[in-house]
Amino acid sequence: MKKNWLLLSVVLAVMFVLAACNNDGKDAAKTEDGKKDKPEQSEENKVDTTTLPMEITNEGDVIKGGTLRVGLVTDTPFKGIFSWELYDDAYDSEIMKYTTNNLFATDGDFLITDKGIGKLDVDKDNKKAKITIQGDVKWSDGQPLTAEDLIYPYEIIGHPDYEGVRYDDDFKNIVGAEEYHDGKAETISGIKKIDEKSIEITFKKVSPAIYSGGDGLWGYAAPKHQLASIPVKDALIASDAVRKNPVTLGAFKFDKIKNGESVQLVANEYYYQGKPKVDKVVIEVVPSSSIGEAMKSGKYDIATSFPTNQYDSLKGLSNVAILGRPELAYSYLGFKVGKYDKANRKNIFNEKSKMNDVNLRQAIGYAMDIESVGEKFYQGLRVRANSLIPPVFASYYDGTLEGYHYDSEKAKELLDKAGYKDVDGDGIREDKDGKKFSIRLAAMAGSDTDEAIVEYYRQNWKEVGLDVQLTTGRLIEFNAFYDKVKADDPEIDMFMAAWGTGTNPSPVGLYSEGAEFNMSRYVAADLTTMLEDIDSAKAMDPKYRSEAFRTWQEYMSKTATTIPTMFRTEIIPVNKRVKNYNVDYANDTQDHLQTIELTADAPIK
Amino acid sequence: MWKTIVRRVLVMIPQLFVLSLLIFILAKLMPGDPFTGLITPETDPARLEELRIQAGFYDPWYVQYYHWITNAFQGDFGRSYTYKIAVSTLIGERGLNTFWLSLLSAIFVYLIAIPLGVLAGRYQDSLLDKSITLYSFISYAIPTFVLSLIFVFIFGYKLMWFPTSGTVDVGADPGTMAYYWSKIYHLLLPAITYAILGTTAIIQYLRSEIIDAKTQDYVKTARSKGVPMRKIYTRHIFRNSLLPIAAFLGFTITGLLGGSIFIETIFGFPGMGQLFIHSIMSRDYSVITSLVMLYGFLTLLGSLLSDIIMSIVDPRIRID
Repeated sequence: MKKNWLLLSVVLAVMFVLAACNNDGKDAAKTEDGKKDKPEQSEENKVDTTTLPMEITNEGDVIKGGTLRVGLVTDTPFKGIFSWELYDDAYDSEIMKYTTNNLFATDGDFLITDKGIGKLDVDKDNKKAKITIQGDVKWSDGQPLTAEDLIYPYEIIGHPDYEGVRYDDDFKNIVGAEEYHDGKAETISGIKKIDEKSIEITFKKVSPAIYSGGDGLWGYAAPKHQLASIPVKDALIASDAVRKNPVTLGAFKFDKIKNGESVQLVANEYYYQGKPKVDKVVIEVVPSSSIGEAMKSGKYDIATSFPTNQYDSLKGLSNVAILGRPELAYSYLGFKVGKYDKANRKNIFNEKSKMNDVNLRQAIGYAMDIESVGEKFYQGLRVRANSLIPPVFASYYDGTLEGYHYDSEKAKELLDKAGYKDVDGDGIREDKDGKKFSIRLAAMAGSDTDEAIVEYYRQNWKEVGLDVQLTTGRLIEFNAFYDKVKADDPEIDMFMAAWGTGTNPSPVGLYSEGAEFNMSRYVAADLTTMLEDIDSAKAMDPKYRSEAFRTWQEYMSKTATTIPTMFRTEIIPVNKRVKNYNVDYANDTQDHLQTIELTADAPIK
Repeated sequence: MWKTIVRRVLVMIPQLFVLSLLIFILAKLMPGDPFTGLITPETDPARLEELRIQAGFYDPWYVQYYHWITNAFQGDFGRSYTYKIAVSTLIGERGLNTFWLSLLSAIFVYLIAIPLGVLAGRYQDSLLDKSITLYSFISYAIPTFVLSLIFVFIFGYKLMWFPTSGTVDVGADPGTMAYYWSKIYHLLLPAITYAILGTTAIIQYLRSEIIDAKTQDYVKTARSKGVPMRKIYTRHIFRNSLLPIAAFLGFTITGLLGGSIFIETIFGFPGMGQLFIHSIMSRDYSVITSLVMLYGFLTLLGSLLSDIIMSIVDPRIRID
């Protein structure tokens, strides 16, 4: 027995020594980094996101060709469904950005322009759209792109056996889509081939959203010559044409695919903007635990979907430039003020609900110190949001909105005014009738810092006298969270979540009376009018539409049933041997991949 | 013996049946379903409902179970909801990766553990023995992900001796020598990491068996006959001391398909451990149920194999 204790103490002693070594190592690393950083680093540990560039244009002589190495940061293998009609994995689409079958180029507002392969002409009076292929465009296997290839994706999505999410309300806006889907028609009657280079689509209604790829318009071509012989039912999605050798239109084409791990792309000699200057692109899955180290050691040129909370690991690296751009997303705090009526598929606002007091909601918003959370937890890579439209959508975003900046005095004032007073003197406010008042917040479990952030907000609320408890007592796992929020669980008074907005900013799908995703369940006649206005025929005039967006944003800010909390910045580390790489959304999918050049044979270490 | 084996295989059937019922019900009880993760402002909730109906999620559970179990009997384990390919193909792909990784690490485990265990037992209480014990305690105490991270940083990124993710270089053409070498090259670092962490049990068993054996009568007899120590260790003690290790062998064989979530995540190695965890998180029912059934079957098979192996290597044991 004595011996065992001795052994144990030896083991423990060794452990302590090891631990001590570790600490030493860490400190040493820190001071080293500190030295390097000093010139650029500001006093506060905060990133000024406005200084992050969107483009890298290194000087220096370029090499001929070369291989661009891309790290795809994910802890799960990608699915490998390389078809725009069938995929639903974000990582698959990251890879497909290099090969794209995109028909249209878009501008900074994600509105379709004439600069792409296809030209869109909308005839709003006859509810028709004409798509024309501009010039001679070829697939990556040398076959010409024809009108048939423009029609085929509609026939895949509308097919009775199609299993994806894209056969939706929008898609049914195409005349004849439902009949085709129900098997009553051989083709979609609203889609007609005019000649070898153009097609015409007839819609039930045409709104301004069509320029954002809404209303059922589909933005991609599909290689009919390769896919036509493969049945949609079960076979297409498992076929080699989708998984092993897809035919594409983009700057690069698939060469080798190692499912779930890596993809090798080569320059597409038939690319309509000319053959890319780089010969090859290798995209590899990199675990999030080591991407910082990988960039440091020059393993990759570009890291996509880089985890923001690892920004520290990139600081002070001499071989890596950090690009930044706003994410198409916002976080928000929603208040439950009603229920969703499943049978009639509409939201029903309940005036008597616990959270239906605009002063209370506004006070909750003012009490949150979002500014500090953005600075301390996200190093400034997330900032307080003032609106429900991310600033990326420059023409629709209302930058003048104040939103809910941190002001606990104002919060207290509002609560006093609304009649939430501390009657029994315990520091916690009671409700209007003097009864105990506690708000239940549902929050999602995600990264390591989520718990700390929610706790911080709860402290904020406590400071103004509001007792906020977590639904279920802890953070809730993703699936369970949405199950509860969607089902209007009575245990939820308010909830914190986020939306990725996609490129179509129209708020109808999230805030209208019929929208199941309108999770606060707030409905009002004037709100409905505003939402209709945004997608109305009048709004085909860009100025009118932008005004309509602003009116709606102001209204939402005032009623505060959904308070936007944070906008995010995405960071993209790029090795300094890369030249002419641009991440601006206005150029994201088009016009730039072929211009990338490299100034060294291997990434700089 | 054959009778026993047949009987045990027959007993497996009701066991697996109960397991299938339990796992099926538990999987369905989890909040959410495979379509929950698809919601964005651009997806149409009505379409998601349609897909749920199409997938039969609104049928009563026993109807769903009946469909699933009858298909499973015909070898059709359904299709993965997230990967959209047959579950058997998916598990085949991942299983093969995991199999090679586990096989290589098992080889490394025995290569490291057997000599160390023998040395520790033979030179009991020496400095060597103590160092080996210390090593096995440390390797037992270190969490898998810590050692994996340290190794990937040192050998992958700093020294650049090994690749850091994937199972094979994407540029290599299947079938060539370069391809197979690349596969082995990608396996080495994770396999070594896995092996270093897995030696403790074998070292300790072997050590104590050898220490026990040293005082046994047959050793004394051999020594009094004048058999050299070397021969006693290699011929007599070693063989007998391997018995408890042979007892694990069945589980080791079937465990080759187990996979390790930490190793696979840190080394970016698509294997069974990751598939299992990810299928649970994304509620990929068909994959979850198939994997649990597979693991259940392998565990039962492992214990049967271990018994058979024991009866072969140790003539004193008879299974009837």
